[in-house]
Amino acid sequence: MTPALVTELIKLARGTVPRATTAILVLGVSLICSSMLLATNTGDPQIAAKLGALIDPGGWAGYLTIAAQVTAAAGLLGCGVVLSWMFGREFGDGTITGLFAIPVSRPTIAAAKLLVYLAWLLFCSAALLAALLVFGLAFGLGPIPADVLPALGRQFVLAVLTGVIAMPVAWAATIGRSILAGIAVAVGILVLSQIAAIAGAGQWFPFSVPALWAISTDVPSTHLTLVIPVVLASAGLAMLSWRRLQLN
Amino acid sequence: MGEYAVEACGLVRTFDDGTGVRGADLLVAPGEIHALVGLNGAGKSTLMRLLLGMLKPLDGTVTIAGRPLNHADWATVGHLIEYPLAYRELTCRQNLALNARLHRIPAARIGEMVESIISELRLAQYGDRRAGKLSLGNRQRLGLAAALQHESQLIVLDEPTNSLDPSGVILLREAIVRRAAAGAGVLVSSHHLDEVARIADRISVLNAGRIIGSLDPHGVDIERSFFALVRADEELAS
Repeated sequence: MTPALVTELIKLARGTVPRATTAILVLGVSLICSSMLLATNTGDPQIAAKLGALIDPGGWAGYLTIAAQVTAAAGLLGCGVVLSWMFGREFGDGTITGLFAIPVSRPTIAAAKLLVYLAWLLFCSAALLAALLVFGLAFGLGPIPADVLPALGRQFVLAVLTGVIAMPVAWAATIGRSILAGIAVAVGILVLSQIAAIAGAGQWFPFSVPALWAISTDVPSTHLTLVIPVVLASAGLAMLSWRRLQLN
Repeated sequence: MGEYAVEACGLVRTFDDGTGVRGADLLVAPGEIHALVGLNGAGKSTLMRLLLGMLKPLDGTVTIAGRPLNHADWATVGHLIEYPLAYRELTCRQNLALNARLHRIPAARIGEMVESIISELRLAQYGDRRAGKLSLGNRQRLGLAAALQHESQLIVLDEPTNSLDPSGVILLREAIVRRAAAGAGVLVSSHHLDEVARIADRISVLNAGRIIGSLDPHGVDIERSFFALVRADEELAS
């Protein structure tokens, strides 16, 4: 496993796509949230009326509510892009032939890709939280009240789980043998999760649960366990697909 | 005779469009350079993919050094099939080190091994250049370096001279001959009959997915012999 982990880590760390996506996710989400904060503070009653409901109850709590909503949508797409790139690029670039007939098995390589992705996800989630704190402080939210600390924890967990529910993308990029196939599935997951949330079934739908849990206290933490089958099934299917892969 | 570097018996793998391999037998002995020639669509790449486990045969068997593919020692196999294992964001050196790691070369040996192949294939001036910035020919040279660097016992190269300049072709030829002299079995496919005739110990002709005969590498008019074999096979089939 170690050679596969090292090589996948090197590819991810040097890749333009994951680097750019990390920067866009961390800075983009923080900028969107802080710019909404700024907009409501301009004193324009029309803007305040439009955005007020979104950042209710204001201050750090409102800012983090916005952050959760933006993270759920942008995070899913961003994570989908990185995961799809990790798996689909081997087919697009033709490097997949070099991953046959070597001592490291293909399921091991697929597992290494997923583990490196999860490590990146933890890093990216922590960096996003740090960026949100810096931007919040820089835009005048002041000291963080003690009652907001759980919301910070929720933001980190949401970011991680958003990346976790994107894992079917790895399988899709393998089956579709392209980056675009994976990204299409990421968009599909986003659409389905929105539909489930609008239909009122979101707290029982694994792809909607993390966002609803982060935004609303009505969704119990136990519902987060719904993502576990998604993780196991996605990882299992991705590894099985890599084991059975043929270059026909 | 000891174990063959690779041995294929009765391989069959066909596709919906009618192409593929239809009962091919192939042997490559240790120290032998075996060339596979054939027209486009004859099945050369498919046969090589079957030998390396990239495709599963509908029928037939493959052994590498006497072992079936699921128990083959892949650390002793080097190959370049169609695309080089070259990640565009990594430099030549990084790509070669990555490839060596995937062949379970001990970390302490990787640096020396990479520098040796870079020197052998004259890639030094591109060593720290990203693969994505290389010309097609140098990218191919990098792929060949990855296939040849780890002292393989079996080397499988599909159209290895694609995109290479004349000096690259000569370097490759010398590198292949050196490895065969050291005991590696080499299987190489090519369209260029005169080129394979220079180095091959044996030339097999593939047509419509079957090995239809062999050519004498030292023959006088190898091109005429090749087309005579292909024509005779097609007349027989029609």
